[in-house]
Amino acid sequence: MPLSRFAVMAASLSLSTLTFAASPTPYPLTIDNCGVPLTFNQAPGKAVTIGQSGTEILYTLGLGDKVVGTSLWFSEVLPQFKALNANVPVLAKNEPSFESVIGKRPDLVAVQFEWMVGPQGVVGTREQFAEVNIPAYIMPSDCEGKDNLVGADGTRLRAFSVDSVYKTIDQLAQIFDVQARGEQLNTDLRTRLSKAQARVEGKRPKDASALFWFSSADLKVDPYVAGHKGIPDFMMQTLGLRNVVASDEEWPTVGWETIAKANPTVLVIAKMDRRRFPADDFEKKLQFLKSDPVTRNMDAVRNNRIVIIDADAMQASIRMFDGIDQLASAIDQFDLRK
Amino acid sequence: MTPAVLGRLAGKLCLHGSWVLAVLLAAIVAGIAIGETPISLSLVFQVLANKLWGAGFVLDPIDEGIVWNYRLTRALVAAACGAGLAISGVVLQSLLRNPLADPYLLGISAGASTGAVLVAIMGLGAGAVSLSAGAFLGAVAAFALVALLARSTGAVSGSGQIILAGIAGSQLFNALTSFLITKSASSEQARGIMFWLLGNLSGVRWQSVGLAVPMVLIGLAVCLWHRRALDAFMFGSDSAAALGIPVRQVQMVLIATVALVTAVMVSLVGSIGFVGLVVPHAARLLVGVRHGRLIPVSALSGALFLIAADVLSRTAIKGQVLPVGVITALIGAPVFAVILIKAKGGR
Repeated sequence: MPLSRFAVMAASLSLSTLTFAASPTPYPLTIDNCGVPLTFNQAPGKAVTIGQSGTEILYTLGLGDKVVGTSLWFSEVLPQFKALNANVPVLAKNEPSFESVIGKRPDLVAVQFEWMVGPQGVVGTREQFAEVNIPAYIMPSDCEGKDNLVGADGTRLRAFSVDSVYKTIDQLAQIFDVQARGEQLNTDLRTRLSKAQARVEGKRPKDASALFWFSSADLKVDPYVAGHKGIPDFMMQTLGLRNVVASDEEWPTVGWETIAKANPTVLVIAKMDRRRFPADDFEKKLQFLKSDPVTRNMDAVRNNRIVIIDADAMQASIRMFDGIDQLASAIDQFDLRK
Repeated sequence: MTPAVLGRLAGKLCLHGSWVLAVLLAAIVAGIAIGETPISLSLVFQVLANKLWGAGFVLDPIDEGIVWNYRLTRALVAAACGAGLAISGVVLQSLLRNPLADPYLLGISAGASTGAVLVAIMGLGAGAVSLSAGAFLGAVAAFALVALLARSTGAVSGSGQIILAGIAGSQLFNALTSFLITKSASSEQARGIMFWLLGNLSGVRWQSVGLAVPMVLIGLAVCLWHRRALDAFMFGSDSAAALGIPVRQVQMVLIATVALVTAVMVSLVGSIGFVGLVVPHAARLLVGVRHGRLIPVSALSGALFLIAADVLSRTAIKGQVLPVGVITALIGAPVFAVILIKAKGGR
């Protein structure tokens, strides 16, 4: 039973972190960040973030006053941080330039994606940041067990693990010497996860499956869907759903024919503020699913088992737990045993 | 034309038309039967029987939808698109007396990318304008610019200026595309565009068939109507003029026709390379240079080639679809090399 194994694992992990509770960080601190050692002589006074997930994690850890610049926003900041965020300069809505980042003289750059800072980083490489003595911390969720040079949005070598999110929180808390807050946050998140699992226990058949549709280049072409080792796949597995997509890529394109034949029990479609492709609009996605001569015959469409989830909740972030809650409550409401 | 000539023509048309139709139908059925997921041949025929003469077999609606709405439309559009690109290649190569001419020479592909990027990345039309509509407008705009440039340099009688104007136009629009992408795209969006630019038949439905098939038939008719003029153009526009052909007018009609055909195809399926360049040469090696034969044979070869390439693109990697443009280049290049070598040995 993967579910119970997961619960045990989660429980033991939370236990093990509690045992070495909140001792202050010994500086100089050296942590391993995806194979690169980062050394901190003291807690950073100024941090720049590239990616909304890292920004919101720092805010949640109560480190908002340390953030001197943010970038790469996908949507509005979480409502509870609206006032706080208003006082933090936004370097760029999209990717910031290298100079705008180092211009803030940060003691830490927290990076959500390797395609921002990494071997082919659009902002810069890790070496570039090392040369100016600014530690660039890349969230383990995007650089551990994932090859970002293969496939359009990278390819997972190992399945995404929620531990990489806990690890990000732990490590950032350690770097800033706020471990107690980090542990509290992780404990809360683990509790939410087990609650969501408990909620769907016995509410779905053994072979229930799902598909996450992010967007498409044009409404009718092959859609971008969640690969079988990515974050949405973890969300499905957590709630006992099997992903019908077999590709290791993060967001592969898969034909509607293959999807329709796989006939998933539940369809999850992404809702986002972005409007670059017609299919970015979840209403258009719904309209397509209900009108296309093939997809309208899929079980999930006929029985209206379509869940709309925020695209940000499909990232390695705190919002992911909101997404899992949403999915769990949807499964709770659908009668999947029918 | 005397009645005798017409009668002979009709006889030839029936004879050749029937085997061309048979080959094309066989290819289309193969295109329907082979796909991402296994669907048996008998099921394919049952669906066709249901839809064509209401045979009333009870079938899974998903299978039925896949065969009728996805695969058949896809095969038809692939055929139309392959034929359209191939005849466009023939016409441009003959008209401009340049073996390297292809349908994208007139800036159409570059213009289509710019249009698509404007819609996709810059958000022009705020989601109301589809990528295809943007691509079509871009293609037409680019062609208009190229035509204007060629005309204002007095080019209509000399093919050199059209090619140069095409290159200038393509460069300009490619630069615009790069500018738009680097200015504002994140990697996810740039990927959407690449995916589309390399050629993609997955968004094809009956609506596209209704656009592509009549378009290619009109193109075919216009080109066949001018087959003798095209024969004459192979000796240069001066010789054509000496033979009493209204050079300017014929050039304008033919170029506008192939530009329109290409623009429609590009907007429906993206810029699929290689078909328009290579198929005409292969056809020429098979049946010679007379356009009365060359145009229909090119159209048929182009159609077959693209159906085959599309089938391969769907089956080469399981559970994933490759851009069809990659397949046309991967298969087209070696096949063309073999044809060239054989042709040399034969002489």
